[in-house]
Order: sequence, then structure tokens, then C-alpha cells
Amino acid sequence: MTWQLRRATAADVDAIMALETSIFENDAWSTEMMARDVADPGCYYLVAFPPDSPDHIVAYAGLQAAQRSPESDIQTIAVAEEARGRGLGRVLMLSLITEARKRGARETFLEVRADNPGAQHLYRSLGFEDLGVRRGYYQPDNVDAIVMRLPIPPAEMQFTDAAAPPAAEPIPAASAAPARPLNRANPLVLGIETSCDETGIGIVRGTTLLSNTIASSMDEHARYGGVVPEVAARAHLEEMVPAIHAAVAEAGIRLDEIDAIAVTSGPGLAGALMVGVGAAKALAVALDVPIYAVNHLVGHVGADLLRGEGVTTDAPLEYPTIALLVSGGHTSLLLVRDLVSDVELLGETIDDAAGEAFDKVARVLGLPYPGGPQIDRVAATGSPTAIRFPRGLSHQKDVAKHRYDFSFSGLKTSVARWVEQKGDAGETVPIDDVAASFREAVVDVLLTKAVAACTDLGVPRLLLGGGVIANARLRQVAQERTDAAGIALRIPPLSLCTDNGAMIAALGAQLIMAGHEPSTLDFGADSTLPVSQIQA
Amino acid sequence: MLLAIDTSAGTSVAVVDLTQGVIAERGVADTMRHAEVVGRLIQECLTEARIPVSALSGVVGGMGPGPFTGLRVGIAAARVFALGIGRPLVPVVSHDAIAYGHYRTGHTGPLLVVTDARRREVYWSAYSGADAQHLPVRLGAPSLAKPADLLEADFVHAGLPRLDAATISAGDLGMVAELAYAAGRPFAADEALYLRSPDVTVSKNGPKRVS
Repeated sequence: MTWQLRRATAADVDAIMALETSIFENDAWSTEMMARDVADPGCYYLVAFPPDSPDHIVAYAGLQAAQRSPESDIQTIAVAEEARGRGLGRVLMLSLITEARKRGARETFLEVRADNPGAQHLYRSLGFEDLGVRRGYYQPDNVDAIVMRLPIPPAEMQFTDAAAPPAAEPIPAASAAPARPLNRANPLVLGIETSCDETGIGIVRGTTLLSNTIASSMDEHARYGGVVPEVAARAHLEEMVPAIHAAVAEAGIRLDEIDAIAVTSGPGLAGALMVGVGAAKALAVALDVPIYAVNHLVGHVGADLLRGEGVTTDAPLEYPTIALLVSGGHTSLLLVRDLVSDVELLGETIDDAAGEAFDKVARVLGLPYPGGPQIDRVAATGSPTAIRFPRGLSHQKDVAKHRYDFSFSGLKTSVARWVEQKGDAGETVPIDDVAASFREAVVDVLLTKAVAACTDLGVPRLLLGGGVIANARLRQVAQERTDAAGIALRIPPLSLCTDNGAMIAALGAQLIMAGHEPSTLDFGADSTLPVSQIQA
Repeated sequence: MLLAIDTSAGTSVAVVDLTQGVIAERGVADTMRHAEVVGRLIQECLTEARIPVSALSGVVGGMGPGPFTGLRVGIAAARVFALGIGRPLVPVVSHDAIAYGHYRTGHTGPLLVVTDARRREVYWSAYSGADAQHLPVRLGAPSLAKPADLLEADFVHAGLPRLDAATISAGDLGMVAELAYAAGRPFAADEALYLRSPDVTVSKNGPKRVS
């Protein structure tokens, strides 16, 4: 099972309180106290949820840490019964400690019930030390509190004694140690993905998913209405080490057990990719393990091979298959004859990606970023047939040259013009109808071309991937159209459809298991890496 | 013994030790190939130094100032290498390495270090001299300026001997860390010195009209 974390908002308070009152039966906080803390900028509350149901809160934890104050407090942490025993508490604690460090705290304190040895053990394993006891702190149960303290190493980190510079003495050459043979049967692979705005670290063993940690800088891009490459790249640098920590903790492994590193070398935003490439190479050399530089788009297909909780099918991916990858950065139709050796690009967008079109139309309609979920929300009450927006590259004259290519720029302009004309005429813009009709145009053209590819090429299999797959209407129409055409449809769990490191690790593991040699250390970030180049 | 990595200009990697000095150093001056070369340079330095990674007591990262895209590669590599070997990251201001190198080769007294910040701007740091431990004494934090500003008579450090540097030596960077540690000095903060905000503005007028 994997979980995703996000910062709690006022909308989460009810779900948090439901957990709070069920777990802390006699000494639960009041809703008012919780709401105040969640909204307080001096606090930092996280909620955890299964990736496929963001409203299903299974755990929460809160930190109080005023900016630049040397002291901070762990306010609360609770994990639902159903989610216990799998390291989620540790991941939450590590995330809070990381945030405390970011805010400049040099130590953090907490109180824990004297009758809760499990929690005490977790805190001690994280480096907390006992500071004292508060008699009868927990009322009405009259249970003592143990006060614990964690020193947080300052940013100007000093050497610890254990790591003091060693005396100069002859040390055997590094090359004297025999290289560990690569575990090709069931490799433990750590994948690093930084092609856009998600810092993704995933760990897999063969085809088994062990962890999938995603730190997104989406919130930072919201006020700009789209991903800002420099903002994304800066966030990757700051999230990289915490994300690796969290992924390793969740997987329950040690870094030195890892057999290989896989990293996205392209396509994507060059500056963002370079952070991942630099980090991956350093980790590979530090751990003395091979590195596999892989193609982001093929990684989306590789996600389908992962097995773990949340995966509904055990049927292996059959070849050849058509893959439709739709995200904020890509809209591509692939023919996959073999994941590790033969992937062909059938077509792609010649202008905007589908996800980008959602963002731009959301802006036209005055809806916040990211546009996909917002358009989906308002489209619920609209009619998909109210307005006939154009289907890009679908005319006879375009099809000859662009049979499997996409274009969403004209559609976006068409929506904007329609909305402006209504506004100029002083009429109310039926936002729900516009959203539903726009979404229908996108979904229609995506599935028409994908199904045409399956039919033309005699490939009765279609795989979906990319963040836009989260769009419920897209999945619904995909099911209807593929059922009607006798095509088998595969959709990986949504947490593996968005950009993530697990899919990169999965593709790396496939390459290893298929006997491919590692990449050399000399590859770079390639923002336009062609899909036919599966490994760089 | 420390591994040192700097990508604030080109890419430079070194293995250094307080008593043995710079044991191995490799560099590529190209300012567009950080991600390509950083891994190989680390590996070559470790091989030439004939040490296992367990002999390292920390990883020095050059925190800049430096143009964003390249600077990040070295910091990411240093942080993650430190994580990989379970040793601390030792952040050092890259300009301090330039000043240290200049004092080491005979310069004395005040110094203005200047490096390219692209977009017709420069990064600068002023130093009063080297102290008894041979460490450069920086006057305040590194800054960003138009090249012409440094030539003005009212520039706060007008008249200081100026050193324009196009490369940073990871060997010098590592030695700054060794000497600072030996002298019980604090290291720099673990934050990238971009000294510029991301080049983006929030549109206040909503989307542009198309008709």
C-alpha cells in the first residue's frame, strides 16, 4: 500500500476530527482547536490518503514551528487502524521534521502517553531522547506524559565525532573490492523522476511496488496558472533528499541494499531533468551500483507492470499494445511492440498538450490551476453537446498527414472566442456547458485517434497513462469506445498514471531483467528524447 | 577526507584532506555540461585517490552564487552523495574557494571576487584578507550587480583589487571546508545561492483576449 501526503486545509478538518475522536476517545481536541491549528501559518498539518481517493484521510500529523524560531513542537499524530504497521507514522514524522528544519528549528519536542510504548519506540528510533515526565498530563485517564526532544542538526552542519576526518593512513584502493554482481532476477531499483513539477522517488523489487513518494510543487505554480520551469527545478533540489528518505522509509529497506538506480533522462523540462540526473549519478557512484537512464514516456507504459495493492489485474501486459499518454506536458500515441526494445511513436500533439489545454481553458473560465479537476467539477452539471467545439486535426485534409497527431491550440482559442462573444453581448456564460463541451471535444479526439490506431494496426489492446487519465469522463468514454470496438483497455492505478518515480524504477527493473547493460555515466538531460530511445 | 563538488561555473570535483591537501581533482570548464560530466568526475576522483567512499567524512557542496541550472546539479549531487554514504553535507560558498586559491598563491590584503551571473550581470564577494588559518575573511554575503555598478566611485568596495574568475576549484573548495572544520568555524547555510528570483510574473489582468 502506498499513501500520498498533502498539506491539510480547512476542508480536511472534518475528516481529521473523525479520526481524532475515534483514536483519542477521552482526550480528543475540539473541532475549533483543530481548525485553528490547521489554518495557522505557524503550523504545518499533513494528511495521508490512498492515491486513488484523496478524500479518504487515513492519517494526519501536525507541527507547530514559527518561521525562524529555534524550537518546534510535534502537536499531534494519528494513523487509522487500517493503515497501521506499514511505516506511515514514520513517514509523517520525517516529513514534519524536514519541515521544522526548513523553517529554521533546531529542536522539536513532543509529549507521548506513558502507556503507549509503540509510539515511544518510533520516536526513539527517529532520534528523540527522553527529557522528563509530566505527571497526570492526560486527563481524565490520569496517564503521565513522557516529554521527548529531538535535536535538529542546523543547516551549517558540523561533523559528528563518528564522522571526524580519519587519520592519514594507507587505505586499499576502491577498485580492489570486487563489484557486486547485478541481481538480474529480482532487482531492487530506486527510480528518480524530475521531468516536470513532481519530484518522484519510487522503489520496486522486480515488478513489486515497494514505495511511491511524490512531492509536487503544484501549489507553487498555481498563482502563475501553469508550471514555471525554474520554480519546478528549485523545488526538485529542495525535495530530493526528503523524498528519497521518505521512499526508503516507506519501502522498509536500507539504501545500501539497492541494486540499481533508474532516472528519467528525458523528455521533459531540461532544468528540472538535470536535478534528477545529477542526483541519480551521485547516488549510483556513492552506492557503487549501475545506473539506467530511461525514457519518461516509456516509463508511463512501464507503470502498468507494477504489482502491489491498488492494482486490480494480475494479467500480464500483452504486446503489441497501443498506449495513449496524456498529461500536462505530453499527448502521445505509441505502438509498444516490446517495452524494453521496441516502442514507436505513432503521433503526438503538434502544439499544446491536453493537460495544458485544460489549464488554459480553466483560466478563460476563471477557474484556478490545475484546470483538469476544476473543469471536471463544473462540467458535472453541464451538457457535453451544448456547444460543438472543433476536434483538432480530424478533418479529411489533416488526417492524411496527421492521422495520429493531436492539436489543442485551436480548440482552446475557439473556447476563448466563444466565451468572449457571450461576454461582449452581455450574456451570462454557461460555465458548466462550456466546460462539459470542451472536455467532450478533448476526450472525443483522444479516443477517436487511439481507437483508430488500434483498428488500423490490428492491435486490440489500449493502455492509458499520464495525469489527465485522472479525468473520470476520459476513463468512461475510453471504456465505452474500447468495449464497442472489442479492444482490451488497461488503466494503471491513478497514483502510477501521474508522473512518479515508481514507473521509472519499474522500467529500469524491466531493462535489468531483460539483460540490458547499464547506461554509462556520461548521459545528459535530453528534453526532446525520442520515445524510440527507451534507454539513454 | 572530503569529496568536494562545485558546479557554480564549470564542473569541478576533488578529494581533499587536511594534512595531505588536494589528493585528486578533475574539472570540465564547459558551463553547459554539468549533468553530463558530474558523475564521471566523481568516479574518477575516487579512483585516483584510491579510497573507498567509507573513507570520506563528508561531502562539500559549492552553494554558489552561480547561474541556476548548473548550480543545482552540483548541489543535488553533493546532497545525495552525502545521503548515499551516510555522511554530512558541508556547504561552502563557492566564492570563498576562489578567494582562498588567490591568497594561497600569494595575494594579500583586500580582494573583490567577481563571477559571471549571465543576463549581463555579475556575482561579487568582497574579502578583507586571509586569517591566521589561511581562510579568506568575507565582508558580508555574496551579491548580484550590473557590471557597471562595480565601477562606480560610490560602490561600497570601490578600488579593491579585483579578481574575475571563470572557474572554481573543488580542491580549494574542499580545503576551505577542511580548514574551517579544523578551526571550529561554522560552514555556510545549506541553501543554493541563486540571488535572483525565478523569472516569472503573475498576470493581474487574467487571460489575454483572442478576439
